[in-house]
Amino acid sequence: MIVTLSWLKEFVDISLPPEDLAHRLTMAGLEVEAVDNLGADLDSVVVARLVSVEKHPEADRLTLCQVDNGSDTVQVVCGATNHRTGDLVAFAQVGSVLPGDFKIKKSKIRGLVSMGMLCSEKELGLSEESDGIMILPAGLAPGTPVFEALDLKDVRFEIGLTPNRPDCLSVLGVAREIAAMTGSELRVPQPRVVETGTPITEQTSVTIEEPDHCPRYLARLVRGVKIGPSPAWLARRLEAIGQRSVNNVVDVTNLVMMELGQPMHAFDFNLLREGRIVVRKAGDGDPFTTLDDQQRRLAADDLMICDGVGPVALAGIMGGQNSEIQEHTVDVLLESAYFAPNTIRRTSKRLGIHSESSHRFERGTDVNMAPVALERAAALINEVAGGQVCPGVIDAYPNPVKPCRIWLSREKTCATLGIDLDIETIGQLLRGIGIDVENDPSATGEGLLCGVPSFRPDLERDIDLVEEVARLNGYDAIPATMPESRAMITMPQPHQLLVRRLRDRMVAAGFCEIVSYSFISPAAFDQIALSPDDRRRHPVKILNPLTEEQSVMRTTLVPSVLDTVARNFSYRSLDQRLFELRPVFQRTEDGSLEPTMLTAVMTGRREPIGWANSQENVDFYDLKGVAEQVLRGFGDADLEWQIDAGENYFHPGKSCRILTAGKLLGRLGEVHPMVARNYDFEAPVFLLEIFVDTLLELDLPQARFEQLSRFPDSFRDTAILVDEDVPAENVLRIIKKGSSRFVEEVRLFDLYRGKGVPEGKKSIAFRVRYRSSEKTFTDEEISKAHSRIVRLLEKEIGAEVR
Amino acid sequence: MKEELAKLADEGVAQAAAAADEASLQDVRVRYLGKKGALTRIMKGMGRLSAEERPQVGALANEVKTRLEETFAARLEFLREQAVAQKIAGEKIDVTLPGRCGWQGSRHPITLVTEEVVAIFSSLGFAVAEGPEIEEDFYNFEALNIPKDHPARDMQDTFYIADEVVLRTHTSPVQIRTMLALEPPVRVVAPGTVYRRDSDLTHSPMFHQVEGFLVDRRVTFGDLKGILTAFIEQFFGKGFGVRFRPSFFPFTEPSAEVDIECVICHGKGCRVCSQTGWLEILGSGMIDPEVFRSVHYDVETFSGFAFGMGLERLAMLKYGVNDLRLFFENDIRFLSQF
Repeated sequence: MIVTLSWLKEFVDISLPPEDLAHRLTMAGLEVEAVDNLGADLDSVVVARLVSVEKHPEADRLTLCQVDNGSDTVQVVCGATNHRTGDLVAFAQVGSVLPGDFKIKKSKIRGLVSMGMLCSEKELGLSEESDGIMILPAGLAPGTPVFEALDLKDVRFEIGLTPNRPDCLSVLGVAREIAAMTGSELRVPQPRVVETGTPITEQTSVTIEEPDHCPRYLARLVRGVKIGPSPAWLARRLEAIGQRSVNNVVDVTNLVMMELGQPMHAFDFNLLREGRIVVRKAGDGDPFTTLDDQQRRLAADDLMICDGVGPVALAGIMGGQNSEIQEHTVDVLLESAYFAPNTIRRTSKRLGIHSESSHRFERGTDVNMAPVALERAAALINEVAGGQVCPGVIDAYPNPVKPCRIWLSREKTCATLGIDLDIETIGQLLRGIGIDVENDPSATGEGLLCGVPSFRPDLERDIDLVEEVARLNGYDAIPATMPESRAMITMPQPHQLLVRRLRDRMVAAGFCEIVSYSFISPAAFDQIALSPDDRRRHPVKILNPLTEEQSVMRTTLVPSVLDTVARNFSYRSLDQRLFELRPVFQRTEDGSLEPTMLTAVMTGRREPIGWANSQENVDFYDLKGVAEQVLRGFGDADLEWQIDAGENYFHPGKSCRILTAGKLLGRLGEVHPMVARNYDFEAPVFLLEIFVDTLLELDLPQARFEQLSRFPDSFRDTAILVDEDVPAENVLRIIKKGSSRFVEEVRLFDLYRGKGVPEGKKSIAFRVRYRSSEKTFTDEEISKAHSRIVRLLEKEIGAEVR
Repeated sequence: MKEELAKLADEGVAQAAAAADEASLQDVRVRYLGKKGALTRIMKGMGRLSAEERPQVGALANEVKTRLEETFAARLEFLREQAVAQKIAGEKIDVTLPGRCGWQGSRHPITLVTEEVVAIFSSLGFAVAEGPEIEEDFYNFEALNIPKDHPARDMQDTFYIADEVVLRTHTSPVQIRTMLALEPPVRVVAPGTVYRRDSDLTHSPMFHQVEGFLVDRRVTFGDLKGILTAFIEQFFGKGFGVRFRPSFFPFTEPSAEVDIECVICHGKGCRVCSQTGWLEILGSGMIDPEVFRSVHYDVETFSGFAFGMGLERLAMLKYGVNDLRLFFENDIRFLSQF
């Protein structure tokens, strides 16, 4: 809602400086989002007289003007065509800064000096559109600042209103708030209409078929008007608050709406068939064309204003083209009505029309303002468009609304707010906003019986009044306290702890956490080559997505993570270690599940560039190491790594599944070259996925301390030759099998192929560390134990000691 | 013999002083104090001495031995120190060469802010709750006193999954789920991802919020002010003004928007605060009786307050991030700054 200071002052005296007023309004719940001082910095734009206007010698479309600015005559080149010698114009002198930070400088245009600019209304911020430069009314003194001369200096407040305050969608409503907070008196307008001619009731009628949806409908008839442009004051007033001036009659309806909050509509009376109004549902009808030239398909339930034959307006939302005020309109039927908020809202939402009128009706207008607004509009039309106002008003109001009365307890007010207020103060505060307050002697406890005025539809319950008391007394006046405490255990849930732990480990492993959108493109499933029958291809879909690219809820983090890798490649970040730890969305028969996934990627160098760092690139085993680190403590004693992740986005020979006790914990490996090509990856990318919720299901034993041995250790290193296709896991398993209980640790520390190793074989070196908690072993004892392991390797996989 | 001993002592001392390193000192030591050394040799002649002389010479011999031992020990210590000093003098590295480093991981700034907010409220006795992101209309709207056809639904453009299923537009449904599951007293914060159908420079269709609420007997609006002021002072530091101003949310009454004095310009007015000197950071209010009714809490017995805040906004203010989109672009150059 935009209001101007000058308009507000018609209803209430204001002595506060504009900035203070803005602050007070904000602190009263009417958030002032901007304060504009109209014309404040435009004193160097002055009234000037055109001494002469000639054609620019070098350009057909430009004029060369000699301008009397009150003290001098200066030369100005102008591009407009609507000015004549002798006109008074708005002249921006050199040094002026026009709205939009447009600086006026001395310049040369087609070879001739121009000492400023003749301005249009648009350039001065006075209107949205303008035709040519602004010609000022005669009689103004050259040299006077234009805004001063035209009395245009004003302050404009832009107020962001919450939906519960429809009463402030008008200048009067904002003025009422100001009156309440400053204690000034509110001057409610009491328009007087001069009536002549045949009474309205003899010329037309109003029938309400739907009193639930249209509780009240008032009409007046003004005959013989002359449609034309609005007088300057009217156009200015609307333009100052961002409304476009249309014509005198339409402008009056808009002005009254802005001033009093009551949307009005003007029909061309002679276009109303049978000359009457019927308020009814649309039923089955033809498409209806609204004022904005749009054909609207109506639903049977839409509330319509009809004439004797069919619809002429979409009730409370927008008028119809068939009854619109036109240049030749002479007789005007004025509508001022009250419509049920939900009725208007349903239709405006369904049709996607949001008008100033629907905005107010759907939030709730003041049923008692309708007659006042009608008088104001009739009187104003009479003033600016002439004609005669027919005697009488039609006021169809079958079931008058009863005022709402609420009992407000002092105790509850104070207990809710945490402040002690006496009953007199509460009453005084509420009276200030027009609430009719009385003590109810029959009530128990201290309190007030409050009659809520019809302009405050948001006040329905006692708690609503408590808020008003808090607001009017000031939130600042309520002391900040700490609640009485009842202690509770606030430990995080196992799932929260697990997520935190996994995140800590990923960060410790040098990975950066990413957060990407939960919605992805359905094409992403092809991009990561999910098989056609993969259930992840059946995501939860968004019915009204912003774009196709964000239209389904992701069933996997893989596309998001790979997209991120590609984006970072494009920023020339070649070394990447990223992870995302967030839910994916699975469609189920009766809804959806949101299991958490950990998905990590790695590409580029093993270590950052450094004089002492490895310059090699990462491979499968780097990421496997990370997986081992991250899964430490999650059944790692029997983690299994089974070749082939079994996913089309993994390289089948360089990927694996991670299992424990038959449960799939995750997958890892190199991204399949075909998928990598889909993302234009320029280097191998390694991917790890961990099913976080599965980790949560594992039955993890409490960690136990193991006694430390006081005896020294000994170790044996052995290198063996085995067939190329023997997996390391087998070697380790056999070593374990052959180990006595004194084997403390087994480490595979070298893998070698090449010179000295026959074709088809590989050399594996391992170290076994022996230690007893009871004694120091002799050399012979160690050798004996170790040779048992070696013999077993020879026997089971044909290993040869090198 | 006395003269011999005295001479031996003087010679030994002189030789020790002349020994240039540990090895030659050891030689000297063997020569004088070893099993076949000079002192032993002299002492072997003791038998020839008279009974009166023997104790005197014996005492003298012991004195000589002690003197030599002390001399050798002192010399040894000196030589060792000298050797270390010499070694150190030749050893000097370029300490300005960068260290051997690994990759530095990082938490996403939204995670960092979430963790901080949660930690502050945990210390104020709030537990952490979570809820689904695909949510039923009932929890997201109806139970929060936002009926269909209510203008308040315009405040939140909603992504729909089905007629009665939405992507939650705020974390407030967790409030409903928690209250349905627990009897008062409850103090809970619920961080989470939320969605609104809006995308431009200052709006992301997905963002993050923390919801919090406290329900007990005799909870007042003053308590709301107390808890939130404490939170703000902890998060942004003391010294910034805080103001509570009336606002509207369907699920609270009275409602308050909480502003903090602009952390960039300290209230003078700048681009970040649109020249107002204030930054809006929190929505809050006393929980509306309608909400209590939908979770079957006794309106007469209990009261409570709720609040919600946008985590991206907190992160932007805390770290000076000036573009919302950076949070979801996941540029490593951005992520590695946290």
